[in-house]
Amino acid sequence: MLDFLEILIRGLMLGSVYALVGMGLTLVWGVVGIVNIAHGEFVMLGAYFAFWAFSLLHINPLFSIALSIPVFFFAGVVIHRRITERLIKEHELSALILTFGMSILIWNLAQFLWTNTYRSVPYLTGNFPFMGLVFGKSKTVSFGLAFLITTAIFLFLRYSKWGKAIRATSQNSEVALVCGINTMKMRMLTFGMGIGLAGAAGAIISLQWVIFPQMGGSYISKAFAIVVLGGLGNIHGALAGGLIIGILEALVTQYLSAKMAQIIPSVIILIILLLRPTGLFKK
Amino acid sequence: MKRRFGNKNRVWLGIVLLMIFLISIPFFATDYWITLLTLILIFTVYAAGWNLFSGLTGYTNFGLAWFIGSGGYVSSLLIADYNFFWLFAWPIGALFTSIVSIGVGYILLRIKGVYFAISMVALTEGTRELFGTEYLTPITHGGKGVPFIAGIKLPTLYWAILVLAFLTLMICYRIFSSKYGLRLLAIREDEQAAETLGIHTTRDKILAFVLSAFMVGLAGAIHFTYQNYIDPSFAFSIHLTLTPIVMTLFGGVGTVFGPVIGATLFTFIHEILWAELTLLYMAIFGGILMVLILFFPQGLLGWMKERGILPRIRKI
Repeated sequence: MLDFLEILIRGLMLGSVYALVGMGLTLVWGVVGIVNIAHGEFVMLGAYFAFWAFSLLHINPLFSIALSIPVFFFAGVVIHRRITERLIKEHELSALILTFGMSILIWNLAQFLWTNTYRSVPYLTGNFPFMGLVFGKSKTVSFGLAFLITTAIFLFLRYSKWGKAIRATSQNSEVALVCGINTMKMRMLTFGMGIGLAGAAGAIISLQWVIFPQMGGSYISKAFAIVVLGGLGNIHGALAGGLIIGILEALVTQYLSAKMAQIIPSVIILIILLLRPTGLFKK
Repeated sequence: MKRRFGNKNRVWLGIVLLMIFLISIPFFATDYWITLLTLILIFTVYAAGWNLFSGLTGYTNFGLAWFIGSGGYVSSLLIADYNFFWLFAWPIGALFTSIVSIGVGYILLRIKGVYFAISMVALTEGTRELFGTEYLTPITHGGKGVPFIAGIKLPTLYWAILVLAFLTLMICYRIFSSKYGLRLLAIREDEQAAETLGIHTTRDKILAFVLSAFMVGLAGAIHFTYQNYIDPSFAFSIHLTLTPIVMTLFGGVGTVFGPVIGATLFTFIHEILWAELTLLYMAIFGGILMVLILFFPQGLLGWMKERGILPRIRKI
């Protein structure tokens, strides 16, 4: 029983980080209307950001996680202004193909610059016992940080003026424009937030998993599964979807095999799209 | 009227001469050139197959590698484990792919737009991971792949893929200038309107999907016979989906000869880049894809039509 509880908690911790990745994707998709396939690559860049900050500049990973948010936010704003904003009025599939190209461009460049070597950030290693269960230190810290960022995003979207404007843009861009909201600015802001979330998630991921140029692929498939589970543009749904996928992954890894756990996102995407294409949760 | 007739005859003469030249190539060219042409033709079929379905219906198929991989895997396993003759193994692989894709199309083609694209990616990724797991290892030999020798000579392989590419392009030409092609275009422009006009959209989409699966599956079978090796991470790779899409986008989506032009040019680019810049090869491809979408969404043929270099006609 205690084992089962431990697996559940492990899944929850895993899921909280996945939710962070998924939230960025669903925000950009829902508000900006762009399906960012390169989202996973920004997670990878976030992880490398923390890694290089740690190994070259000896910056504390916790600090580089905080630093990654503004850095990636501005990168996202620039990318949106220069590239993706042009595609807003085009068919949604052109943005899909464009970001597909961007994703390949980024991982291959990363592979070229940093090679395929597996790397990790040796920080907060080891476990600690708590109430008869054993917790990984880095996993617990990751969970706490993911929780913190998620809460901040919730509060921002719910109560701040910009958050409300973003939600208005997502519900109906034209009406929002008529009401005096600068929708272009809101899209830019949201794209930045999405990339910022991806970068932060990547920096958090670097604390507990290996880093390599093609790691984005596994996170993007999970993020898509989360968006499909939670419903497009639904932040609460993305959180729930992330936790569900985390728990499922922990259970399958334990009782079947680690390779079978890799299939979960694909299976979830196919099943949910067929049975409930609007996601499991009400907006 | 007479002039047009003359033009048409001349085009046919050109095609016949080109075919005779292509057929005679193994008699005088070196193996290097035959290999290069084989690759061009394989990717022509991939690109034309992608274009036949996605170019006409507007449903972006991001799971082309799934067609390639399943056609390739079935025929490779038949050759490797059951000693099938390649000529029988190939069509069985293609038939298997198209029969499965009837089911896949029936289920997934109800999903629209971006979600369809994602579900095809999920299908491909899922199949790749599944083929590598220990549960399927007895059949698929797991992630380490299957080496095999089909006992086919390079010229024979070249002629086979030449015939397939020719047939594929003929079928595409017939479909693109038929009422069926127009129905598919109507689906691309507005599926609901098409349905209101009495077009059986589901049936038409599935038919195009299955045709595309058959051609691409057959080319996949030939591709892996040529390679003498198949493994899940290449057979279902994003690379195999991406390259034909880039080729089609470059030549022109929804045109018959766009994929041919794209496949020819990009195979040469591939040869040069692969030799010179192996490590940055995919990055350059990704960059080209972005530039194409941003600046030349019509492709080369579309761009030439816009400039009046080629006539803007679609004969029915």
